[in-house]
Amino acid sequence: MSEVARLQLICLSVVGSGILILLFIRSVFPRVIGFVAIVLGIFMLTSLSIPQMASLPPVEEKFDIATVKTPTDLAAIGQKIFFSKGQCALCHSIGPSESARCPDLKGIGAKLSREFLYESLTQPQAYVYMDYRHEGLPKHYPADMPAINKNPIGLSRNEILSVIAFLQQMSGEPISVNPSELDVPGQVPAAPVKAALSGPAVAVAQAH
Amino acid sequence: MGDDEVRAMGHQGGWIQRLLRSGSNHAGALLGFAVAVGLFSLPALVFGADVAPAAPTEYRDVPYVGSRNVIWVIAQLHLLLAGFVLGVPIFAWVCEVVAWKGGEKRYDKLAKEFTKLLTSAYATTALFGGILLFLLISFYPKLMNYLTDIFFPSFILYCLLFLVETATLYLYWYGWDAMQTGGKKTFHIFLGFLLNFFAFFIMIVPNSWATFQASPVVIAEGTDMARAWAATWNPTWWPVNIHRLIANVVLGGYICGAYAGIRYLSAKTTEERDHYDWMGYVGNFIGVFGLLALPFAGYWLMREIYQYNQQMGITLMGGFLSWLFILQAMLIGVLFLGSNYYFWLGITYRIPGSALQYRKPMFAMLVVLLLCLAVWMTPHSLVASLEEAAKMGGTHHPLLGVLGVMSAKMTVSNLMILVTFMSFVMYWRAGKQDTAGWARIAKAIMGAILVIASIAVIILGVWGYFVPAIIRINYFSTSQVLIVIGVMLTITPLTALLLKSAKTTTEMVWGKMPPRAGYSLVLNAVMVILLMTLMGYARSSSRVHWHVYGVVRDTSQYAFSPALGYASGIMSLCTFFFCMVVAFIFWVATMGDKAKAATEPKKAELPHGMPAMAGASSALDKPNSTKF
Repeated sequence: MSEVARLQLICLSVVGSGILILLFIRSVFPRVIGFVAIVLGIFMLTSLSIPQMASLPPVEEKFDIATVKTPTDLAAIGQKIFFSKGQCALCHSIGPSESARCPDLKGIGAKLSREFLYESLTQPQAYVYMDYRHEGLPKHYPADMPAINKNPIGLSRNEILSVIAFLQQMSGEPISVNPSELDVPGQVPAAPVKAALSGPAVAVAQAH
Repeated sequence: MGDDEVRAMGHQGGWIQRLLRSGSNHAGALLGFAVAVGLFSLPALVFGADVAPAAPTEYRDVPYVGSRNVIWVIAQLHLLLAGFVLGVPIFAWVCEVVAWKGGEKRYDKLAKEFTKLLTSAYATTALFGGILLFLLISFYPKLMNYLTDIFFPSFILYCLLFLVETATLYLYWYGWDAMQTGGKKTFHIFLGFLLNFFAFFIMIVPNSWATFQASPVVIAEGTDMARAWAATWNPTWWPVNIHRLIANVVLGGYICGAYAGIRYLSAKTTEERDHYDWMGYVGNFIGVFGLLALPFAGYWLMREIYQYNQQMGITLMGGFLSWLFILQAMLIGVLFLGSNYYFWLGITYRIPGSALQYRKPMFAMLVVLLLCLAVWMTPHSLVASLEEAAKMGGTHHPLLGVLGVMSAKMTVSNLMILVTFMSFVMYWRAGKQDTAGWARIAKAIMGAILVIASIAVIILGVWGYFVPAIIRINYFSTSQVLIVIGVMLTITPLTALLLKSAKTTTEMVWGKMPPRAGYSLVLNAVMVILLMTLMGYARSSSRVHWHVYGVVRDTSQYAFSPALGYASGIMSLCTFFFCMVVAFIFWVATMGDKAKAATEPKKAELPHGMPAMAGASSALDKPNSTKF
């Protein structure tokens, strides 16, 4: 017997006891208890009749560097992270959507440099690119972009680079992230992105 | 652990076993010796703590039951009792002020009757608070350490607040009879105000701890005070403060109603029936008064949650907790229906002749309420097989999917509030005839306001489908709320002005309500308690696998949130325990009165002491019932 069925049986017996009390006992207080038992039993039965979904803590995805041989492998991992641990798809759309709470990411890998993407993910308020929208006037979006390398999302450097690889691939661009750039466990991590302090986009960001 | 250490432990174990075997014949002496050694060695633990570098314990568990379940039940009971203890003084103080200003002594008596409960309820709440604290320290030492580090100054403040609250409560209760006239009464009213003032702070200080767990802010370096203050002023602190304040009033009102309902059902004299019928009316009125404002506070809280963290908002409204809001809709719907039903019963039985006059509006209101409830309970997506989904054209049913979205739900919840408000206005006006010359115009204006407001709420609701979510949330839903508040703020004073000069055509008769009225009061109280337990689960589960969202991760075996079916079992258990505890408090508090009443001559007893619910008819009552 499943747990739900067992609980349903318990609820039915609670409701049944309440009905018996109301039928056979005349004292007020026990009758009120019987009435309360019926109400609670019905509430539990209703709760058991809807979809039973528990919220399990996410399995901490292990980034197995050994499985990454090519930039395409990296992009595949990035795609998984984009739609799961990274929670990007909760706010961003890929393709135009008026109701999206954050900018549309279609073609972003072609439009922005890898360094700018890295900075936008880790220091989202460093430089707000108001002209980002594909069409129409620049606008403020209702949700602020969180620093993706901090809690509650907390992506590692390798995971962020994978997401960037996915964004570039999705935009039809050649993937500029090489698997050799990934941090190997046990080794001293590399600088966040070696070219992070160069390039025109970041220069503009610093100027602002 | 090295091999030498393991061997040493094994050796030690053998030594202990030999000692136990040799001492088994002298168990009493050994026990005494062990206790004495234990006591003398206590100071050594302090030094030992410095020496042993063992990793700190993060969690402790209770076998079979589970530490999380124990904490869940105790915390929920403490919170419900706290809600009761903080809600009742508001309720009692308002009644005392009404008696003081209006001269109706029965309100003073009612206030005193409920303040009497406070002393025992206060002790019980503190008892559960103490148990909760010890259990939290025992089961979650790491988390409690973290929170203590941040909130230490507010812990001290909380203790001080408890001291002044306790002193004020003693003065307020024990000084009741001694401070009944002149300046003393004014001082007593002031004490009641102080009681509520301190109680408010007693509520908001721990709220800061709980809301920080849900919406933590960055704690910068600084003094203890600055850090505590930064953590206290988190995004959901004030929405929760206001929401809980109103909810406590609702809880206090409906529990008063339930108590009155039970006493009414078991009343043996007409005097008792009159009194408890009236008390039930007051409790229901105060409950409804708070209930009308509660959805607005809830909406504000949800809005702040979304603004703080969209992911948390989605977990609540669109993620695994989305079905919880269908249950919430059911409970609130039953509460609205129960409260309205009680008003309608009041019109029918307390105001003879009004039943015919108001039958059609009551029926129309019932239909509107049921329709609104049906929409509110409509899920956005359905559990369907692949074939069913293909037939529907997706997981969203073409019709139900439309009704299941927030735009529809916000609209119907506002309409239900409007209907309940009009139910109350109808009850207020029943048995009275307007005499003012401008009455016709005033009634036309009120009718127009109601109709225009209802249409505006519906139009905004339908329009909400065609605009981006953010516009709907920020402008349309807020406008709907403002419209409904506007209706209340316009019609209430207009009706009061109108009734000031109105002629009473039918006197209100107390003590004639049928037994089902008592049960509907009990039902309302159970609904409110269940709602509080349900939303407690929602708030806790919205943090998902975090003790402090995004900061302190729950790494225990209980880092998951159970499904609603299982959770509803715990909620029902908490509700039942709480009802029993409150019943016990009422019983203890009124024990003295019963003993006193037994020594006094009985008045107007019903034949054979027949209780009202056991088939007693109103024909058995004496006709000279107390008039309103």
